[in-house]
Amino acid sequence: MSKVGLIIRREYLTRVKKRSFIIMTFLGPLLFAAIIFGGVYMILNDSTTHDVLVVDQNGILTRYSEGTRQLESRFANTFVDSDQIIYHFSKEDIDDDMFKSSAYSLKVVIDEAQLNSGAGTPFTYKTLPSLTVKERIKSELEKGIEQFRVQENLKLDWAVYKSMKVNLKFVEIDVENAGQASLDQNKAVVGFMFSVIIYFFIFMYGVQVMRGVIEEKTNRIVEVIISSVKPFQLMMGKIIGIGLVGLTQFLMWVVLSSVVFTIASFTLIGDAMPTPAMVDGNAMMPMDDASMQVAQLMENEMFLTFISIDWPTLILLFIFYFIGGFLLYGALFAAIGSAVDAETDTQQFMLPVSLPLIFGFLAAEMLLQNPESPIGTVFELIPLTAPVVMMIRSAMGFAGADWLILIASMIILILTFLLFVWAAGRIYRIGILMYGKKASYKELWKWIFEKA
Amino acid sequence: MNALEIKNVSKSFSGHQALHDISLEVPEQTIFGLLGPNGAGKTTLIRIVNQIIRPDSGEVNLFGECLKPDHVFDIGYLPEERGLYKKMKVGEQAMYLAQLKGLSASEARKKLTNWFERFDIAPWWNKKVEELSKGMAQKIQFITTVLHEPKLLILDEPFSGFDPINVEIITQEILRLRDNGATIILSTHNMSSVEELCDHIGLINNSRLVLSGPLDEVRNQFARESYKLTFKGNIIAFTNALWTNYELITKSSNDDIHSCEINLLNGARLNDLLNTVLPVIEIVEVKPIIPSMHDIFIEAVEGTQKHEEA
Repeated sequence: MSKVGLIIRREYLTRVKKRSFIIMTFLGPLLFAAIIFGGVYMILNDSTTHDVLVVDQNGILTRYSEGTRQLESRFANTFVDSDQIIYHFSKEDIDDDMFKSSAYSLKVVIDEAQLNSGAGTPFTYKTLPSLTVKERIKSELEKGIEQFRVQENLKLDWAVYKSMKVNLKFVEIDVENAGQASLDQNKAVVGFMFSVIIYFFIFMYGVQVMRGVIEEKTNRIVEVIISSVKPFQLMMGKIIGIGLVGLTQFLMWVVLSSVVFTIASFTLIGDAMPTPAMVDGNAMMPMDDASMQVAQLMENEMFLTFISIDWPTLILLFIFYFIGGFLLYGALFAAIGSAVDAETDTQQFMLPVSLPLIFGFLAAEMLLQNPESPIGTVFELIPLTAPVVMMIRSAMGFAGADWLILIASMIILILTFLLFVWAAGRIYRIGILMYGKKASYKELWKWIFEKA
Repeated sequence: MNALEIKNVSKSFSGHQALHDISLEVPEQTIFGLLGPNGAGKTTLIRIVNQIIRPDSGEVNLFGECLKPDHVFDIGYLPEERGLYKKMKVGEQAMYLAQLKGLSASEARKKLTNWFERFDIAPWWNKKVEELSKGMAQKIQFITTVLHEPKLLILDEPFSGFDPINVEIITQEILRLRDNGATIILSTHNMSSVEELCDHIGLINNSRLVLSGPLDEVRNQFARESYKLTFKGNIIAFTNALWTNYELITKSSNDDIHSCEINLLNGARLNDLLNTVLPVIEIVEVKPIIPSMHDIFIEAVEGTQKHEEA
């Protein structure tokens, strides 16, 4: 095996065999799934029952029922009790001490004057309810107040009023791609997910390259090794080996996540997800027709997005930019590691390396809002931001001049990568033999051009 | 043939001259002591031979050939600042280092097993380096340095961190390797091991070679007409008897036995000295003084410093 091969193998095997790597590789997808499914599950299965006291000081929402001799909801279609929320009404507010000793868990005070003044509506709780519960109470109150104003003040029929309300939905059509509904926005979201992965892996494993170099330096094994191999070979072997560890972890996560998600969506969510039948019967969540349609459309759109993405191109470009970006940043991180004696000294050099990466991430986020922005092209051409930013366009697909930008971006990335690896190698070969002295930027610059 | 020839090698780092026109020869199958105070330039010279850095000017020949990349397989280098990967297992690590020196995996395993048995450390194979003591780790490093049977061994302070028993083991190994054909460059501050082991020496001070040659010649070069006289009798009478041709360097007394070191000056002979002092004392022992490497080191280093100051 060649020397670089031996180094790659050592770097790879020592890391892959580490307990922390194995745990992270297997636990990562589980944690990820747990966060997503746990969240969904908790929202859908919030078993706590909230007793909400609605203090209706002006009698907007309630009326006195002769039958039950109690206040009841003014409109039949509002304040319907569910498993989660039971509404109670009162005209008089109660003070905090009384609320504390009462059986109510939440209290909300509706006061006409307050509503008109635009001041906030007091929402008092013993323990903060989930966001969904809060949202549902809020929308129920809004619906009640709205209905009161429409029916009692304007004397309009509620059904007529509702039919007047407009809910526009855009179907995007790209004129360049006439006849087909454009899903660019959705595709950009998919691309952004790949941006996040590249960003995350470059950071995580780039820092590992740096740590590895510092470890060899502080262990003082580096001089033994560079009496057998060239410093450049050692540096490249380390970067490639660690890059392969990153790719391995990524592939493992893809495989394991698919398995976990498949199993989880069958067992966990399968019976918890509201099926149309359940929604019709109002058993779980009251969902009106409009939101049902939106849900179906979303599902439909997700599917359409999925099949309209050019996956082979996206995956190939992902691998290209993943490797290119990692080598680029890996070389920088290796140079930093060689210039310091301990990880605590790395801060002054870390900032200029992290900034472009963070900047690329922010640019990608901006492109998510506005995928066709011309500023995006700039970031796609800058090699330090391209690996993160280019994923968005890769998912959206290339047309016309986009191909030129892609090719230019790839060539610039390769050239810069060669330049950076060369410069990093020059810094590295001198840095690894320097002890005790904290290098400055000026010195690093000098090292690049110094003879060895 | 010379194992190593260094011709007019100079090297400077950003304004600081690390080596100045160094020329020296290391004959094959000898132990060459590379000496000098800290910061003199020894490590720079060693790194040049290891092709870690390149000289600004001059030439380095290894076994008659100009230095080339493949020569790293012919050299075993134990740096002064040395270490191992702490989290790696001993055997795995030794295998890795051996393969980097060009051994195949099976060769490396065979040779390592051999050495581990010889040093009686076979049970360490699966231990992590961080579990080893400093001396144990030093042993592993010594083995990985010599494992690929290099023709030239460069050992920088090979004895540091060893107890006297292990120093003896390593000393014997070094002699054995020399007898089996290896040429060894030994860089150390331990002058007694230089006297014990080295055939040739070279002394670098302030980036210049100030002394080199076979150990005996160097010692003779520094030898003066000096003798140590041990005698019974009156020490005052003895010192009074010494005329201008004799210089009393040291004197010590133990009961009525006195010891003095005396330099003979102006061509005086030992017989003259004895004739001078015999009437006043009773001689117990007379011994010529051969300078130790310790003295030579100090004299050579201080001598060049004075020379430069002047």
